[in-house]
Amino acid sequence: MQHLDHDRLVFLALGESEADSGESTHLDTCEHCRVEVETLQHVAGLGAGTQGLRDLPDPPEHVWQGIMTEIRAAESLPSLAEVRSQQQAGTEQRSGESDRNGDGDRPGGPGGGVVLAPSSRRRGRWSRWASTAVTAVAAAAIGVVGTLAVLDPDDSEPAPQVVVASAPLAAYGATPPDANGEARVFDNGRLHLHVANLPDVPGYYEVWLINPTNMEMFSVGVLGGGSDELLPLPPNVDLEAYSVVDVSAEAFDNETAHSGNSLLRGTLTG
Amino acid sequence: MTVGVTVGHAPRKANRPVTAVRHEPAPPEDDLAARFRAGDELALREAYDRYGRAVLHLATSTLANRSDAEDVTQATFVAAWLGRDTFDPTRGSLIGWLLGIGRRKVIDRLRASARETRVVETVRQLPDPAPTGPDPDTVVDRLVVADELARLPDDQRRMLELAFFDDLTHQQIAAVTGVPLGTVKSHIRRGMANLKRRWEVDGAAPGPRPAGISGAR
Repeated sequence: MQHLDHDRLVFLALGESEADSGESTHLDTCEHCRVEVETLQHVAGLGAGTQGLRDLPDPPEHVWQGIMTEIRAAESLPSLAEVRSQQQAGTEQRSGESDRNGDGDRPGGPGGGVVLAPSSRRRGRWSRWASTAVTAVAAAAIGVVGTLAVLDPDDSEPAPQVVVASAPLAAYGATPPDANGEARVFDNGRLHLHVANLPDVPGYYEVWLINPTNMEMFSVGVLGGGSDELLPLPPNVDLEAYSVVDVSAEAFDNETAHSGNSLLRGTLTG
Repeated sequence: MTVGVTVGHAPRKANRPVTAVRHEPAPPEDDLAARFRAGDELALREAYDRYGRAVLHLATSTLANRSDAEDVTQATFVAAWLGRDTFDPTRGSLIGWLLGIGRRKVIDRLRASARETRVVETVRQLPDPAPTGPDPDTVVDRLVVADELARLPDDQRRMLELAFFDDLTHQQIAAVTGVPLGTVKSHIRRGMANLKRRWEVDGAAPGPRPAGISGAR
């Protein structure tokens, strides 16, 4: 079948000209051309709807502040054990800066930059940290975040947030055993997830909080393709009841319930 | 003409773009996207300056609550930054990717408020609630098309704006601009092709719509 000239399809879609009877007949029978006209109409409709989008207002400044606060918190937390071990050193360094004589051989810049910098030791410590008794770690986390806030040389930087609960996540059921992760709840009601080695799934990963006594649950949100995600929790969520963090594999099936296929689970304590 | 080899990435001059910062000439997005992906914090700030407004618009126009919308904007950039290694510039533009994240967060938030409603009403079988604002997909699509419109060569953009915003026929556009009718048509045809391609790459539900579900109806 001979399709209509594409130029014609554009002008028909824009209502610039009427289809003659031959063209109408063709459009009635040719799905290819009909879809093209409808797509172009749709795009033209979107185009017409863009008029108000040229002078959008800037987000308020506190949004940017919030972004930086959360990023600092998320970036610094995986190295908490490292930070803690360097706590003494960091304190020494601060005093070294003030008298300008000491510490000439210590590499790196001042203050928080040093303690937050990635290091080759981080990963090993991190896995040990993850397997440590969680209550102890949560307590340490609170202590260390407090220290970080004090150490931070730039007073305009927003203070890091406090972890109120955390859970190591382990492979669940038939999930390959190297899959793992970590969940932390900040005092601002956000859940930070760090995951590793999740198996590829045809759909997407979804995060749930489950009440283990009655298996009631709700969805917290969707994990992107990255290894970290920050998700807001509903206000006043009862983390003592909904204490199990669950990462499931979900299909794009328009079904909002849990698929039953859990990849990772862990229990929040803190 | 060689427009649109990598749709939406080509370093074209952008006048009055939805995404530009204070009308400075925008550097090529390729560079920003690459620096963002590489973890350059200045690139995060630049991306926020350019696209923060679009993400906030997506959130404010779909969520009833202003502070929810600001939260979603914040969460979008945090998630984008933490997940920057998953951004694949060959699969779409940075703004398209950011809006995709924002769209997911908006939908999460709409579901969360639906959940709260459900708990309050203790009704088990409520269907998904009617969205309070416009459909997030449509807002994303409009922002993507607006961004592409701003990136079009001046002639194509000008002709399309006269057609879209002022509802002029091609004949009238030729009369208003003094550009020959054939040239007007050719700019509009190319401009439409660029908008369509960009929408297919970066839109919320990319790809040609099946017959019968076209949003144009």
